[in-house]
Amino acid sequence: MTATAIRNHTRENFDFTGAHEAAGESNGRAAALPKLSLIVPVFNLAEETVALYHELRAGFEAHGESFEVIFIDDASTDATWLHLNKIAKEDARVKLIRMRTSFGETSALDAGLRHAKGERIVYATARVRVNMSALPQLLRKMDEGHDLVVGWRTPRQDSGLNRLVSHGFNWLVERFGKLPLHDINSSVFVAHREVLENIILYGNLNIFIPILAARKGYRVTEEPIAQKPGAFRQSKYLSEYIQRLLDIITVIYLTKYSKKPLHFLGFFGMIFTVAGLAMNGYLFTYRILGYGGIAGRPLLLLGALLLVIGLQMISIGLIGEMIIYTHARDQKEYNIETVIGA
Amino acid sequence: MASSDDKIFCSIVVPMMNEEESVTPMHEAITKVMAEWGVRYELIIVDDGSSDRTFEILSTLAQNDACLRVVKFRRNFGQSAAMAAGFEHARGEYIVTLDGDLQNDPEDIPRVVAKLQEGYDVVSGWRKDRKDKFLIRKVPSKIANRLIRKTTRVSLHDTGCSLKAYRAEVVQKIRLYGEMHRFIPGLARIEGARIGELVVKHHERKFGKSKYNLSRTFRVIMDLMTLNLLLKYLTRPLHFFGGLTVLFNGLGFTTLAALFYGWNQQYLGEDELNVLVALAFLLFAAGINFLLYGLIANSVVSTGQKRDERLYEFKSYDRNSN
Repeated sequence: MTATAIRNHTRENFDFTGAHEAAGESNGRAAALPKLSLIVPVFNLAEETVALYHELRAGFEAHGESFEVIFIDDASTDATWLHLNKIAKEDARVKLIRMRTSFGETSALDAGLRHAKGERIVYATARVRVNMSALPQLLRKMDEGHDLVVGWRTPRQDSGLNRLVSHGFNWLVERFGKLPLHDINSSVFVAHREVLENIILYGNLNIFIPILAARKGYRVTEEPIAQKPGAFRQSKYLSEYIQRLLDIITVIYLTKYSKKPLHFLGFFGMIFTVAGLAMNGYLFTYRILGYGGIAGRPLLLLGALLLVIGLQMISIGLIGEMIIYTHARDQKEYNIETVIGA
Repeated sequence: MASSDDKIFCSIVVPMMNEEESVTPMHEAITKVMAEWGVRYELIIVDDGSSDRTFEILSTLAQNDACLRVVKFRRNFGQSAAMAAGFEHARGEYIVTLDGDLQNDPEDIPRVVAKLQEGYDVVSGWRKDRKDKFLIRKVPSKIANRLIRKTTRVSLHDTGCSLKAYRAEVVQKIRLYGEMHRFIPGLARIEGARIGELVVKHHERKFGKSKYNLSRTFRVIMDLMTLNLLLKYLTRPLHFFGGLTVLFNGLGFTTLAALFYGWNQQYLGEDELNVLVALAFLLFAAGINFLLYGLIANSVVSTGQKRDERLYEFKSYDRNSN
């Protein structure tokens, strides 16, 4: 959509697919494509919205490359949207997207990407409260020949529990994903547009973008970025921690077996099946040879249960393979850097 | 032999990973063979994330050879992916794959293509006189081949041979994923291909070292299970999972029937009966679970690949040209 885009500030409901977009003041000038697209999800920031904008503006105007800012308001219930509209009115580089209802940051990133025109994407969610004016230093790191640079929040201002969970999470990612980064899930990164367009986003996968990018063969690295003083944050819900725990399984699965479910499930399935068979085989022999009754042996039911669970895991693995065989035909297993003699 | 001047007759696909010593001799040998044969061809080398000078050498070679095309991966994605990429970029009527380590002899290329033209969709090389270490390469390969023959019912002596020839339209139907490059004939068979084999030469490895190891056995077995399911039950998965249902529910019924008719009284103690009843119920539950898996698998398959995408021959002779 061009600068002469529909402006509709009174309209509260903006379509998630981005059919409606509030652009800045149009002066009728055909703006050249910006070099950078800043994608910033915001949620219930109230007055801080303005401060956030000024921080971004100060940082990137000093950096020098032309840029656009795409704020995605994830259906804030406070004055955030009004503040954003005021900002957009005064600055043509600011574009706004408002979700109909809260869809989360992955959808925000996706919606932002659809409207981004820059060659490089700067993504930073307002939630993590990093020093936005320091973001250009990630771009300078990228110039050294990287495709994606993750912002490493250091020193961390979050609560001890948050830091512990994050630490454990990153340790596992490093082990399984072989990606030696300190802060994969920081939700702050810069990348070439191509990198993000090559990654399928769903669920809460946005926190795994560095892993997914590395798996696609892009060069991924990190650069420290300061968190604002007083950015102390503690998750309000226990469910957030449980989700993070489940995310760890996602990481292992994504990095190793996403295209080969049976290699993953078959391994555990086989162990269970063999263990179950061994237990019941032993009891059967024991009984047949007349060493005594097996009624008092819980091993019998355990063995049977393991056998059943093992076979079920293998079955689910096989169903996974069938899904990939029949439904993922167009998904490429590789990522090409160059072709000579095309 | 080439059908027309502008169409590429034969595409040669070679996946390579860290083969800096082999690149130049390989390229020379293939160029020589193809020049003698005199057909229009292209050589597609897929650089599967080499960390040595392989790509550098390839790009130099490509500057002076219009027939050479190089596809460079961003990282190492494995041989299946390399082959899939090679197939995708191939424009020839026939496609021949070779190993990047000079163990296959390029002189066999015209022979396998000739065999293909006898009426096959896939022709696999058979390294009858294999030049590899006996214990770590030949023995596992013999066992694996027997297993593959049994599960896929494709009677090849040597599925592991990289020298293979395909009709392009067949290869583009194959869904090559994971580590399935080992079973391309089996995968082609799912789509209904005719498969033949031909004895080819095999040389000792001159450069580098072999990239295979024994620890892949487990994954090979898993892939074989998948292939077996896809080959036999892709259109009717309920028959596979239903088989497990019948087995488990059958066992449950037998146990209950035995208890009911009192066949057990002379063998079993009173308390053993209780355990057996619990076991029977467990078996029922498991059996029903497998039935449900079968139903889900049915929906998966019916919403996926269409049956009419499979291979069949359709010929229409143009009256004017003949």
